[in-house]
Amino acid sequence: MELPEILFNPLVRGILGVCLMGAIFLGAMAAVWFERKLSADVQQRYGPMRVGPHGIFQLVADAIKLFTKEDIIPKNADRLLFVAAPIMMMGSVFLVLVALPFGAIIINGDTYPIAATDMDISILYIEAVSAISIIGIFMVAYSSNNKYSLLGAFRNFARMIGYEVPLGISIVSVAIMAGSLNIVEIAQAQSPLWFIFKQPIGFIVFFIALMADMGRLPFDQNESEEELIAGWITEYTGMRFGLGFFAEYIHLILGSMLVVLLFLGGWNLPALLTSNNILGIILPTVFFLLKVVLVMLFIIMLRWSVPRFRIDQVVDISWKKLLPLAILNLGWVIALGLLGV
Amino acid sequence: MMDEKVGPSEMIVHLGPQHPMMPGPFRLNAKLRGETVVDSEVEMGWLHKGIEKILENKTYLQGITIVDRICYLAAMTNEEAYVGCVEKLAGIEVPPRAQYIRVIMEELSRIQSHMLGTGEYASFVGFVSMFMYTIRDREDVLSLLDSVSGTRITHSFLRFGGVKDDLPEGFKEDVKRVFANLRKAIDSYEELFSSDDIYRSRTVGIGVLTPEVAKDIGVSGPPLRATGVAFDIRRDEPYLVYPDLDFKVCTRKEGDVYARVQVRLDEIRESMYIIEQCLDQMPQGPLFPEGTAYGRRSPIMRVPAGEVFNRVEDPRGEMGFYMVSDGSDKPYRVKIRGPVYPTLQALPPLIKGVRVADIVAIAGSMDTCTSEVDR
Amino acid sequence: MVIKNIIRAVKNIYFGPPVTRMCPEVPTRLSDRFRGLQKLDKSKCIGCGICANTCPNNAIKIVRARVGPASDKMRWFPSIDIGHCLFCGLCIDQCPQEALSNTKVYLTGIIRYDHCDLLFTPDMLAREVDINAEKEAGKEVSRWTPQ
Repeated sequence: MELPEILFNPLVRGILGVCLMGAIFLGAMAAVWFERKLSADVQQRYGPMRVGPHGIFQLVADAIKLFTKEDIIPKNADRLLFVAAPIMMMGSVFLVLVALPFGAIIINGDTYPIAATDMDISILYIEAVSAISIIGIFMVAYSSNNKYSLLGAFRNFARMIGYEVPLGISIVSVAIMAGSLNIVEIAQAQSPLWFIFKQPIGFIVFFIALMADMGRLPFDQNESEEELIAGWITEYTGMRFGLGFFAEYIHLILGSMLVVLLFLGGWNLPALLTSNNILGIILPTVFFLLKVVLVMLFIIMLRWSVPRFRIDQVVDISWKKLLPLAILNLGWVIALGLLGV
Repeated sequence: MMDEKVGPSEMIVHLGPQHPMMPGPFRLNAKLRGETVVDSEVEMGWLHKGIEKILENKTYLQGITIVDRICYLAAMTNEEAYVGCVEKLAGIEVPPRAQYIRVIMEELSRIQSHMLGTGEYASFVGFVSMFMYTIRDREDVLSLLDSVSGTRITHSFLRFGGVKDDLPEGFKEDVKRVFANLRKAIDSYEELFSSDDIYRSRTVGIGVLTPEVAKDIGVSGPPLRATGVAFDIRRDEPYLVYPDLDFKVCTRKEGDVYARVQVRLDEIRESMYIIEQCLDQMPQGPLFPEGTAYGRRSPIMRVPAGEVFNRVEDPRGEMGFYMVSDGSDKPYRVKIRGPVYPTLQALPPLIKGVRVADIVAIAGSMDTCTSEVDR
Repeated sequence: MVIKNIIRAVKNIYFGPPVTRMCPEVPTRLSDRFRGLQKLDKSKCIGCGICANTCPNNAIKIVRARVGPASDKMRWFPSIDIGHCLFCGLCIDQCPQEALSNTKVYLTGIIRYDHCDLLFTPDMLAREVDINAEKEAGKEVSRWTPQ
């Protein structure tokens, strides 16, 4: 089916883009609400309850608070980097959004993914662009002129350099098994059997490397509150802090989407559920979003149940334990491919 | 003292008085080379309230409420040290039932202090939910304390020659029910700590304190017992009814952070055993010595002149009061020897050569209460 | 490795009800011996001043106040500065006539914005002036039973 001509109008594209960004911000707010409620459940308390029923408008109140705070730039800070760093973090996150599909519409057996662009190398592009956020975090920490932020920045670099390699290798093994670098085709190649059953070690490697990439506990050394006050974002106030904070949570959503698309089957459903036209439009997207929410809840819950690593142990794990596992997984996938499975 | 000169790639970081890390304000100046600590020093004094001077202007009875607040977590042992001093000077005999009640309250206070210390330590390692679990179980113990004395932390419960009130009715059944839950909870904490590899890699072998260094500096309490030295004032210089009770002094041999946390969990179990023995052995009887003026409505006391040193086993170590009296109704001088000041002095030799993340783990395992350091 | 911690967290999500309470709506459970605001019985008080001597913080002052709401005679009664009171209970213990007694008021009626409102006169302590106190406190007087 050819896309209608109206979608190529730049004004329409602009409006759709702004709507998408707004939806993602709402998604990030929902993610923060999930985190606060889930952490309260783990600790047997209530969580936000006052602002709206069960506190669903708490994030709106927080956003208003962040907008109205005084904007302080430290005296000897590097002003250009200080101002540009949160914008760069947000920018890299939104660049990733361009290539990720948010669901699919299945009509008459044809799948039309809901994605902003259709690239042939989309998974490579996603991994490359999400690495730009490292530079963003380092700019934040370096420009603050603060010893605690500097310690956070050093730890951040050590962590990122170690974990990009296993992440890349496990993505490559998925691409080999699916036969293409296009993320839509990878999702569709999981039609009978999800990739998590075909390469379980790859799933574990990818999950741990993704948690380190996103900076979630047990890998959040750069912002550990006990040692470094707030780590890399100590000197930021008001909406600058809000941008960095939301960028982290949007990264969380994107990470869980990646997990679902690469390993957990994307939007695939048995054929008889999508035979009807109405069901074919709604069900795959709903199923996909449900899986994303479940993965996100699991990642959030993991933060509140385990202690935190030390930075040298983090680097240790990545080079001595994850990298051999990733290479082993790559060998396994190649062997499976040669055997014709 | 730390040398202020910084070499290449070194920097001095002030883990300063306002910090989410330590309970209460004290400053740790650390010279770091990258992530490793080269040298450090501890500065205290931000919380000095002048308690020793205040006590010189209050009568002995008013002093009980002030001594309560030296370290709010270990209120009963503070009161016991102070009241014991006055009783030694004035020659007051405490009847047996009051002694048993005092032991019960002090051991309950010890249990809740150790639970908070363990939970707070877990939150320093990043394990925030464990803090919430221990706080929730600590509420049961606080409710027991509440039902006897009326408040949860600053009790003002002891009087010269006895205690203020008797135990309420049904206390024994409440204790049995709370302890049944508490035993399961302590076992679950031990299991959660010992089965978690991340936690073990953060704590085993970190911050090893040798017995020689500990005895040199004057460390006492769980950090000393975790190095293997079995020194406990309840056994070596017993007061109240401790000679009649059967309990063991919990020690470990390794002296690292993991051992200190384990010693505290073991001590909670021993305290529960002590309380159950007390409840079985307690005789009926008066709460104050017969035939004297001492009672709940104590008179204005004039304590005979003299000086005395009284020490008790605080949850954090050895707490001592040195009291000089000149025969009037107010003390002439009270000197408080707190248990945490030497424990904090043991910190600079311990954190030499470790990483920044370990500073927090080691300092948290010493279970400091800055209010007691500065008085 | 960390499985037991994760299992404990999941168990708490599904089987652990919240143990905190929503503060103003759900009343606190106070123990029987809870120490709250003092209550003065003017018919028993003799104005001796022992409570003022005993207070560790010098929060009690003996002032002249009328004997009852319908009388003109003035006597000496204690007035307590709640801003400095420790709620230690020494004044209640030491009173020789047992004129001061314990109540469970700790929230409504005590929290004020200015310090001058916290100087409770003997009329307020004897509850002749309504301080909106007993409305809220003392509802759940029972020994707290752990769940």
